[in-house]
Amino acid sequence: MAAHEPLTDLNVMVAGQGGDGSLTVISVLTELLARRGYHLYMARNVASRIKGGHAAAMMRGSLLQRGCLGDHIDLLVAFDQEAVDMAAARMAAESIVIFDSSDGALCRSALAKDVRAIEVPFGRFAVRDLRRDLFKNSLSFGVLSYFLSIDEEEAINCLHHTFRRLPKDAIAANTNAFDNGRQFASGYYPQQERWMLADVERSEQLLISGNEAIAFGFMLAGGRFFAGYPITPATEILEWLQKNGTRFNAVTMQAEDELAAINMVLGAAMTGVRSMTATSGPGFALMQETISHAGSAEIPLVVVNCQRAGPSTGMPTKPEQSDINMMAFGANGDFPRVVLAPGGPRDCFELSVQATNLAQQLQCPVILALDQVVSQNASTVEPFDLDAVQLQHGKRVDASELRNMSEYRRYQVTADGVSPWAVPGTPGGESLVTGNERNEWGQVSSNPENRRVMVDKRQRKLDSNLHLLPRGNFWGDADASIGLLGIGMQQGVIEEAQQRLAAAGLRIKCLQPRTIWPVIDETLDFIRSSERVYVIEHNQGGQLARVLLAAGASKACIGSIRKYDGEPFSPGDLYSEIRQAEADRQGKSG
Amino acid sequence: MTKTYQPNEPIWCAGCGHYGVRNALLAAFRQMQIESHQAMVLAGIGCAGTLQNNVSAYGYHALHGRVLPTATGAKLANPQLDVIAVGGDGDGYAIGCGHLIHSFKRNPGVVYILMNNGTYGLTKGQHSPTADVEDTAEQALDGVQLGLSIPGSSFIARGSSASPVQLEALIVAAIEHTRAGLGFAFLEVLSPCVTYNDTYPAWAGRMVNVDELAEYDCDNRIGAFAAVNSLMVENRFATGLIFKQDGRSPERRRLDSGQAPLCELDISPDSHLSEFREIMAGYGV
Repeated sequence: MAAHEPLTDLNVMVAGQGGDGSLTVISVLTELLARRGYHLYMARNVASRIKGGHAAAMMRGSLLQRGCLGDHIDLLVAFDQEAVDMAAARMAAESIVIFDSSDGALCRSALAKDVRAIEVPFGRFAVRDLRRDLFKNSLSFGVLSYFLSIDEEEAINCLHHTFRRLPKDAIAANTNAFDNGRQFASGYYPQQERWMLADVERSEQLLISGNEAIAFGFMLAGGRFFAGYPITPATEILEWLQKNGTRFNAVTMQAEDELAAINMVLGAAMTGVRSMTATSGPGFALMQETISHAGSAEIPLVVVNCQRAGPSTGMPTKPEQSDINMMAFGANGDFPRVVLAPGGPRDCFELSVQATNLAQQLQCPVILALDQVVSQNASTVEPFDLDAVQLQHGKRVDASELRNMSEYRRYQVTADGVSPWAVPGTPGGESLVTGNERNEWGQVSSNPENRRVMVDKRQRKLDSNLHLLPRGNFWGDADASIGLLGIGMQQGVIEEAQQRLAAAGLRIKCLQPRTIWPVIDETLDFIRSSERVYVIEHNQGGQLARVLLAAGASKACIGSIRKYDGEPFSPGDLYSEIRQAEADRQGKSG
Repeated sequence: MTKTYQPNEPIWCAGCGHYGVRNALLAAFRQMQIESHQAMVLAGIGCAGTLQNNVSAYGYHALHGRVLPTATGAKLANPQLDVIAVGGDGDGYAIGCGHLIHSFKRNPGVVYILMNNGTYGLTKGQHSPTADVEDTAEQALDGVQLGLSIPGSSFIARGSSASPVQLEALIVAAIEHTRAGLGFAFLEVLSPCVTYNDTYPAWAGRMVNVDELAEYDCDNRIGAFAAVNSLMVENRFATGLIFKQDGRSPERRRLDSGQAPLCELDISPDSHLSEFREIMAGYGV
């Protein structure tokens, strides 16, 4: 990386043991880069434990909007040797390691020769001068700010803004630590070797995670009841609603388990309140029986599944997209359901609103399929368009409408399969709601003719309302014969890989389907109109590709690109995979 | 009048204790003049889990063991409903026992009528958690003692389908407890299964109505626990209102703090746009 040129794309990792405060350093840097007009993308890499274990916070600042981390780390702040060893393979050419040498000199053996190391005993300085190890964060920010050619006033402003909720003496102590770092750095580096940040104008944006955007969208769409059981990586949704829900008189319950959570949601939902639960794979597995029940009893239910690496407990803090089978096909019996997959915070907001509405319109379970990356990583996005949000109430009937009806049948067979719906408490709407097969009145029935009519009626709700399902995001060269297709965490990676492939002369079109079940025509059309489509996903079995094949995609046309090591694809990984796959084809055909 | 469903005749065997429970519930509804749209009867799985089909109300057939969380959600959504959960001993003490414990603790304004017959009738006579099983030396679980052991429990009663007057009074008291926002009203009913575990003869003469004991104080948890235990040691059962204390149910706490029932909230985005904008601004960079 050349000195003096303003940086257009900067990837920073701050790493150490959990509790070292890596996230604090990233937060201050984020503030700094936001003020300079950069777009931001933030991620964390933590162990599943309260304190300790290797922990890393990562940040990308770029002048172009990006939906993932970059291929390499330009700047690593390492509070221990383990951090250096773990990050070494990902360090960019001529990148910098700022190393806390309190416990000894840096062992460079894992680092390439062109990686420059700056050793500063942050921890020792912090303890010696400020009597607390934790001040090494602000100390290291002092070094960083000098290295990035930020003047002192601007850097202190950012530091103070980040710490604005701390007591005054804590802010003063951190400022002190910052000064020490800064002084040390100024005596250490030659001025001309410093890096420079750009300073550009951009409109105000939101820096928000997928889970936060899901919770926000649900509330805006009239969601007023949430019950959940804490589980990584879904817990932030519960926490957000506990914190903010009271402003809207919403109820947020922490249930005794996932079974209680989803059944509380069911009880509130059938009583006419828009309701949601959120969980991850193991909890979603427990909820299967209720999802099938909601499908049968025709109760509007929104279930968020923030997927993590499975099977079983798997890797709780790592992403995967391996619950696709469970979401599309899980639970007993045939019933209509919708599975939506947002690709970033903006999608999370939009699809959360749509899922909440769709559940009302279709009176069936709607599943929001996230993954750990989409759930927990944060990025800058345009502010959400709150004015565009409208509530859809489907076929709810109230007391006055009921008065004008000669009879009310909860499961009335209709042309589009959706029955008028009166909620408990409404005079004239008395009904029997059940997961058993039943007649139009809700009375249990195993009559074969009735059974066929009822199964078909429920399926028809979906088949006749496909136009309500969210459309996907398309980009790239619409006329290209090669397609890339991926959901969730793949969206940002595919976008960037496609740009590089285009720059290398490869014409590519891309689709991020947002409705993954049922498979809608636009997805199949995208595949049909391509010579080949690479389906990019994070699981071993090619679950998304198999769903598409089962829906009628041609096997000859589908190439499957998979990863399941818990680490997201980088744009460079994907670029190389596609190049390689295309080269292999050329080799075979040539 | 809008025509709605007609309640079915019960599927129970002739002589089943559950008839007594249904009749007492209907009598309580009549006595309290509860209109059919005002009550929501949620039932679990099993013979007891069909009772909702035999009363005129909003009926719901829950998943096995999950009737209490579902009833909790419904009551929080609409506190004006009389929410009555019913089920058998398998539903409440086996598959759903975790939720029973947490319902005592959480104390929602839900009436829970648990029909205890010591057997799984619908699947043809397997042991239930309230059966003493000689082969394995497993002893019966006692739901009244379980309830008494949980600090937040607020209403614990036991009735019998053989004592309809007492049962009706207990159901009325339970509904009044929930209506007053005092919390979860648990009513176990000894309701024999005449086909697989006909305990009418075995239970006859062993029930002691604590309401008729001059010295009994249903406000005293320790006393209640001691009395229930002493009777058990004597191979008898306590019935009546065993324990009662004033709790404050979650839906009542909401109403007391001035919040409208969930089902009546204005949820249009426009009504809260400035608040949503404020939250969104908190993410601004």
